Amino acid sequence: MRYTARDLATRALRRGPSQQETHLMVLTPDFDTRPVISFQHVWKTYPTGTEALRDVNLVVPEGDFVFLVGPSGAGKSTLVRLLIREEKPTKGKIFVDGIELGRMKRRQLPKYRRKVGLVFQDFKLLPNLTVYENVAFALRVHGEAEHTIHSRAAEALDTVGLAGKENSLPANLSGGEQQRVAIARALVHAPRFIIADEPTGNLDPATAWEIMQLFLRINARGATVVMATHNREIVDLLRRRVVAIDAGQVARDDRSGRYHDDLSKSQIRAQ
Amino acid sequence: MIYRNLRFALNSAWQSFWRNLAVSMAAVLSITLILILAGINLLVGHAFSQVLDGFRAKVSEISINVADGTPLQSVYDFQQQLSTDPRVSGVRFITKDEALVQFKADPNNLVLAQQIEGNPLDAKLEVRVTRLDDVAAIDTLARRWPGVDPTNPTNYQGDFVNRMLELSSWLGVAGVGLLAILVVVSIVIVMNTIRTAVYHRRKEIEVMKLVGATEWFVRGPFVIEGVMTGLIAAAFALALLVIAYEPAVDRFRSDVAFIPLSYDPAFVASLARDLLVGGALLGALGSYIGVRRYVRL
Repeated sequence: MRYTARDLATRALRRGPSQQETHLMVLTPDFDTRPVISFQHVWKTYPTGTEALRDVNLVVPEGDFVFLVGPSGAGKSTLVRLLIREEKPTKGKIFVDGIELGRMKRRQLPKYRRKVGLVFQDFKLLPNLTVYENVAFALRVHGEAEHTIHSRAAEALDTVGLAGKENSLPANLSGGEQQRVAIARALVHAPRFIIADEPTGNLDPATAWEIMQLFLRINARGATVVMATHNREIVDLLRRRVVAIDAGQVARDDRSGRYHDDLSKSQIRAQ
Repeated sequence: MIYRNLRFALNSAWQSFWRNLAVSMAAVLSITLILILAGINLLVGHAFSQVLDGFRAKVSEISINVADGTPLQSVYDFQQQLSTDPRVSGVRFITKDEALVQFKADPNNLVLAQQIEGNPLDAKLEVRVTRLDDVAAIDTLARRWPGVDPTNPTNYQGDFVNRMLELSSWLGVAGVGLLAILVVVSIVIVMNTIRTAVYHRRKEIEVMKLVGATEWFVRGPFVIEGVMTGLIAAAFALALLVIAYEPAVDRFRSDVAFIPLSYDPAFVASLARDLLVGGALLGALGSYIGVRRYVRL
């Protein structure tokens, strides 16, 4: 059974997908829809002279779920930083939802970041705020009314399975729970894109799998997910789109890929 | 939305002030010390300007001695001429008799008054000049008047007046200069203190920016916290200055009796206004500059 992202988004609007569905469904993005993320001949050279990205071309259609894989230092994190506009490309153009990030003015940046949900390996939670306050914070910066904040934060915490832990401080939670809070914060303003940088990097395999289930559900509801990861098991199990970055270039782009391609696997075996 | 953002900024500024109490108190202490120095500068400036005003009032009054035998009509004519002069704010004619009464009434002249026979004093025209700079011109005018006593025409002391004018302008420049130095030093100190506070919270700022906070949303709580810090510091500085003001003036008067320094309770209100506004501005500006590097998207 295969669905396009558009199908799923329509379904999700009608009713939330069941747990069973999210397990079974293999998301095939609708490549006919306009690309929401597009890298066009993107180069990134840091002031130290390090070439982090070299002529990267990448198109991500709406509703896609993309794994960015590759060895450390390959350029995955640079790609993520460019996507969240922490960095600007040295050459080339990046379009997200029709906006060219390199030309975006500073004052437009907050509005752009509100469209994006960000999840990091180190969670980036505010240690002095409770679970609820951390999630509510993402709505506070948008200037939402208190009653809206309350209902949406409660809903987001419910989605990630943390209802009842609203008043805990991040330090009193496990790594998995902290990442759930970070995901709830990324979800709470219903973003169209989720960008995750090694979200399972600090978690044990069972917890990592639970976290991945959450990302699948978010994707099934129509959000585009771009995730940089080193987690081979998960990538191989989910068989989603895999973009392998090596030495700053796109080495491979498989629609239903694995962590290593067959060629590199055979090379590994030969070694 | 502005109201909600303002409430959020106020809440987080208040919480952050208490949460980082050690750093907050360091900032309060720095600003308090600076404001005490600024307050002392203002108080000393005010006290000296009062003393200078007193001197000015004295030296801007010139006595023109009338030669014995000058016809009264001539004196009245000259008095009239002076009264219509725009540089003059008042003229008073003192007859010989009145001059003697005044002389005898002065307790400093007690011994001398007993030895006086007859009335050796001149009648005089006491002229109040509006601007101190014009006293010399009035003196020249008086000396040309035929009715003036040629041996002792006026009590004008040109050198003294010029020195007073010079001193008063130097004191003004020195006060402004000192205040300017204090403001620059204090902004640097406050900026660095607040930058330390901000450095501790850079992770929080990073998260704020990543979830889409605008620069002003991030900066707002810090600037409000700066204003709070400045106001608390101003209150401390003001309390200390008010407590010390009167005893310090008393002490000064008993030690340096020839300078007529006086306690002016009315000045406390203007001092309070200056310190509170100064403290708030200092805190706000220090925070604004201190947080700028971390806030920039």
